[in-house]
Order: sequence, then C-alpha cells, then structure tokens
Amino acid sequence: MSPNSRRLGNGTALAGGPVADPGPKGTMMVMTTRGPLRWGADVGGGLYRSAVLAGLTGVTPVICAAVAYFGAGFAFTWTANMNAALAVRVLAAAGEILITIVWTSVAALLLLRRGSRPITRAARRLAKAWLGLRIEVRYAEPHPVTQMSTGFWWNGREYYKTEREARWHGRMQQGPADPQHRQDALWTAVAVLTVFPAAAAPLLALAAGIFLTLQAGLLAWGVALIVAGLASAPFGWRVFGPVAAAFLGQSARSKVEALQAVQADMTQTQAAELERIERSLHDGAQARIVALGMAMGAAEHLLDTDPEKARPIIAGARASAAEALTELRDLARGINPPVLSERGLVDAVRALALDAPVPVFVRSSLPSRPERPVEAAVYFAVAELLANVGKHAHATRAAVELGYADKTLAVTVTDDGQGGAAGPATGSGLTGIERRLAAFGGRVDIDSPAGGPTRITLGIPCVLS
Amino acid sequence: MRVVIAEDLFLLRDGLVRLVEAYGHTVVAAVDNGPAVLSALLENRPDVSIVDVRLPPTFSDEGLKAALAARREVPGLPVLILSTHVEQLYARELLADDRGGIGYLLKDRVMDAAHFMDAVGRVAGGGTALDPAVIAKLLGGPARAADDPLGTLTERERSVLELMAEGLSNAAIAARLFLSEGAISKYTTTIFAKLGLAEDEDTNRRVRAVLAYLGAEADR
Repeated sequence: MSPNSRRLGNGTALAGGPVADPGPKGTMMVMTTRGPLRWGADVGGGLYRSAVLAGLTGVTPVICAAVAYFGAGFAFTWTANMNAALAVRVLAAAGEILITIVWTSVAALLLLRRGSRPITRAARRLAKAWLGLRIEVRYAEPHPVTQMSTGFWWNGREYYKTEREARWHGRMQQGPADPQHRQDALWTAVAVLTVFPAAAAPLLALAAGIFLTLQAGLLAWGVALIVAGLASAPFGWRVFGPVAAAFLGQSARSKVEALQAVQADMTQTQAAELERIERSLHDGAQARIVALGMAMGAAEHLLDTDPEKARPIIAGARASAAEALTELRDLARGINPPVLSERGLVDAVRALALDAPVPVFVRSSLPSRPERPVEAAVYFAVAELLANVGKHAHATRAAVELGYADKTLAVTVTDDGQGGAAGPATGSGLTGIERRLAAFGGRVDIDSPAGGPTRITLGIPCVLS
Repeated sequence: MRVVIAEDLFLLRDGLVRLVEAYGHTVVAAVDNGPAVLSALLENRPDVSIVDVRLPPTFSDEGLKAALAARREVPGLPVLILSTHVEQLYARELLADDRGGIGYLLKDRVMDAAHFMDAVGRVAGGGTALDPAVIAKLLGGPARAADDPLGTLTERERSVLELMAEGLSNAAIAARLFLSEGAISKYTTTIFAKLGLAEDEDTNRRVRAVLAYLGAEADR
C-alpha cells in the first residue's frame, strides 16, 4: 500500500486470531532447488533466523543475568573481609542474595514494562516476513494533554505544571493500563522461556563445537556438536511460529473491549435508524394519508351540493396518494432494498451499478448468497462507496468486484478518479462503512493516493458453500 | 381480451379484476402464487397477463421468473409486470428477447385507470409499456460526455423522447401532450436526427432503438 493509504478498523481482532497472509515469505525457505544447495540454504537461513530471534528475545534475560551477576559481585564485596561468627556471615550472605534478587526483579520488571512493546513490534514484523502471519493489534491511544484554565496541564489522570511533564507521566502511566501492553509483556516473558532457548541452542551447539574442535583430543565431540547444531538450525527457530500465533495477537481483554465498543455502536446506530424510520413515516406517508382522508371527507360533502368543486379535490387526493406511495417506496428501499431480498447481493450490486452516475463494471465470483445481514451490510457499503465515486471522485468509470477466498467475502471498488479518499474531509462516510462492517468482524482497506486511482477493499469473514 | 392476473394481495387482485372487467375484458384466471402463474399462462395463453413480481411462497421475484419462463415457451406472450419498485436490471431482462408484448410498470400506475388500461392494451398488441421511472433512471444514468447529443434536446423534445421510450405511438404521444400528430412526427424526426438514429415508424423497434441508445454505455 502506498504511504497515502490507511487501514481502517479493528476487524481482524474481532475475526479471531492472526490471519495467514499469502504475501512475503522468506526467500531462502521457498527455494525449490533440491539437494545440498537447498540444505545449505535451509541451514544458513535457520542460523540467521535463530540469531535474530535469540538476539531479540535474549535482550531481557541477558540484561537480567548481567544485573544478577554484577549485582551479586558488588553486594558480596560488602562482607568480603568480614571476620564474624558463622551465623552472622550466613545471615549477611542471605541478605546479599536477597538484595541481588530484588535488583534483578526490578530490572526484569522495568524491561518488561518499557521494552516489551518495541520487542513485540519487531517480533510481529518477523512473523509477517517469515511466516506470513498478519497480526494486528491496537494500543490504547494516549490521552490528549490539555491546559486547564488554572494553567495546569491535564493528561487524563493527573495535573502537572508543565506540558512535558504531563506528557511524560501520561506515557508512563498509560502503558500498564493498556491491556495490550500487558499482553506484550506476557509474550516477552513467554518468548524468553520458549523461543530464546530453542533459537539459541543451535548457535550455542555450533559455537561450543567450534571451540571443542580447537582443543586437543576433543575433535570428535566438537564435530558431533557442530553437526548437531547445523542439523537443528532449520528447526529450532520454528517454535517461534506457534508462540507468535498464541501470544503476539490481541489480548482477550482488548478483544472484549473492542467487541463492547462495536456493540454499543450498533445499539446506537439501530436506535438512530428506528428514529429516522419513525420520523419519515410520521412526517411523510402518515401526514399525506391524513390529508387524503380530509380531502375525501370534503369531496363527499361537496358531491351533493357542488360536484364540480369536488372533482379537483379528488384529483388532488389521488396525487397525494401517489406521493405517499413514492415516499413509502423510498423508505422501504432504505430499510431493505427490494432487489436484495428478491435477487441477492450480486444482482443488487448490478442494479446499483446501473443506477450509478458513472458506468460501473461488476464482476462476481461468489459461489452462493451470503447470510442476509452480511448481504445487507455489504450492499449498503457498496451503495455508499458508489455514491462517493459519483460525488467526490470525479471518476469516469468504476468497477466492483466480489470474490470469496479464505472464508472471507472480499469486495473491491475501484475508480479512476482523483483519489485522496483517505483524507479526513471525506472520511465520515468511510467511517460509517467501517462501523457497519465491524459488527461482522469486517475490515476496510483504503488505497487512495492523491491523484488516484482509488481502490477500496471490504473484507468480511463469512462461510459460503 | 382474455386476461390472466397474478397478484397475491387480495384487495389489489380483486381491484385489478374489476378494473379489467370494467373495460370489457374477460379475466380467465386470477392466481395468487408463483407456481400457479406459469401453468395459468401456459394453459390459458391469454391475450395479455398482469403479473406481480413478488409472489408467495418465497416472496422473491417468482412472478418475473414465471413470466420470462412462459415467454421462452411461447415467444412474444404478452406480459405486463407490476412491481412496487422498478429496476433497470429487470427492465433489461424483460426486453432482452427483443419480441415486444412487454410491460413493466409500478403498481402505483393502476391508480390512473385510463393510462393503465392503455398500457395493457399496448402490451396486448405486441407493443411495449415501460414505466416513466425506468426511463427517468435511464436518462439520468451514467454520466454522459459533454458533447452528448441528449444535452442538445429541447425540453419538449426530451418529453417526446421519454414518451417514445415508454412505448407510446405518435398518436398517443400527441394525445398526452395535447399536440397534433403531425407536430409529434416533426419532433421525432428532429430527435432521431440529433441522436443520429435511423427513424422508424414501428413503435416497438423505435423503443428498442431509443433504449439501446440510452443504455448503450451501461450495457454490459
């Protein structure tokens, strides 16, 4: 995607775990050459990946080990030359061990708290590049810092004298409160226990093997270790895959929060929609029918006395009835488009295309009709997108493509207009689409560089047969 | 004329039967569900049929489907489709077989009995009756180039074009617009010249030419 594109939605989160992306794969792992060349590539790639993963997941344990080692060394200097009773020396040693443990724990906590986000971010990039795992997460936005009338700065939790202070404390406090942050820390901790040893083992075996071969009389042991290290290189790092899939994604808690937000949003949208329907009925058709009844009453009265006067009243009443019908039809179309219920999504989109202000090409490879609510959501989204094409894009033609793959209904709407649909000025309609689709775990991808063309893809997980 | 009526709402079906009979025609069958439509059409071979798009049991488009199926069996069997909404998509499907004897109107039109029965008669005679709403959508359809000849039509020429597209003959257009038939014939000549179409006195072929012109860009 271009730098001008943006991705809307937390859809993947609702859809469940990570999504396999058929996109970039490690170059070395997809080599199809047979024989030693391929083994060499596998071993080399494995060693490289092991090194990267060991480095990434090893930061925390190595620093902690260093703190423990040097901390202990430092603490023991306090009583190094002490001449006291055995009991006292034992007590002192216990105290020194305890303080070393405290230092190490503090270091570990600080590392998990401050370091887990960059580490997990890097791990997600690796998971995408090597395994095709597309994992999307959402961090809580930092609360905006505002100056109050008292002159103090408010960061959503506390007041500070300066803006910098408020921002810094805001960042500090926001981390632990974010469920995703805790999830990141959990991954970092789990990776230290699983990925780190698995990735480090082949490297360690190799290093130890090389060291042993240089020692006199241990050549056989050294070679054995080197062979073991090389043989395990293509496999050791692979433990990263399941661990990443299990722990790198969204925390259950933030999934629940996202779901709750969608639910609240839906409830509100529904209430607003009901209100709109009620108002349209009340102000439109209902009022016209009341007028119709009154006109008929007047005409009935005039029939005996002045039939000629009754004629225009009756004509007016008929016109009023026609108007009421038109209004009811438009209202029904907005609630449930008739072609959609009669023919299903594809023909309904074709009907939309025929009514669009620019020529729209429609192609579909859907094997069957999706569930009705999904159909309706997609239909209204496409209607909105095609309306945008007419209103904002200054396009001369557009295309809608409906496809189904990987249990996802994908709809792509393209136009040759001026682009820039991702801008905030035209964003409201797209946000509405995003919300509507979020209820189904769907997502909206917008690729609309300034100058066009625009390509908007809707993806909704569903099951078609 | 012998007429078949397919409509699921009792009030509307009853009203249609009364209306058709009031104009001196015979209703040979009045059915209320999808499966019955096709057999009623094929058994009775009516001079014209009036069919609702949406019928039980599935309330989708079985009326339309039955009408199209009947016309495949009996080419040119006159069918007037009624619906609460009109779609270009359905209009295209109905006109696709190029045989005439097709009508596609909003249900609202039955309120104007004279025009409605005029449309019924047109369809029975192998002509075409398209709802003005379909024509309006076609005319307002895909954005046309700045040099589109449609833009050069005068307001009067445009309304003549609309009525032509609905399937009206010159005489009928003249009656609608309170003009002489000669004047209408002059208008149609100008319109065809402006649009670059060959003039045709046959209303059916004329409708098709006009619709092809209007839908050309969107026709895929």
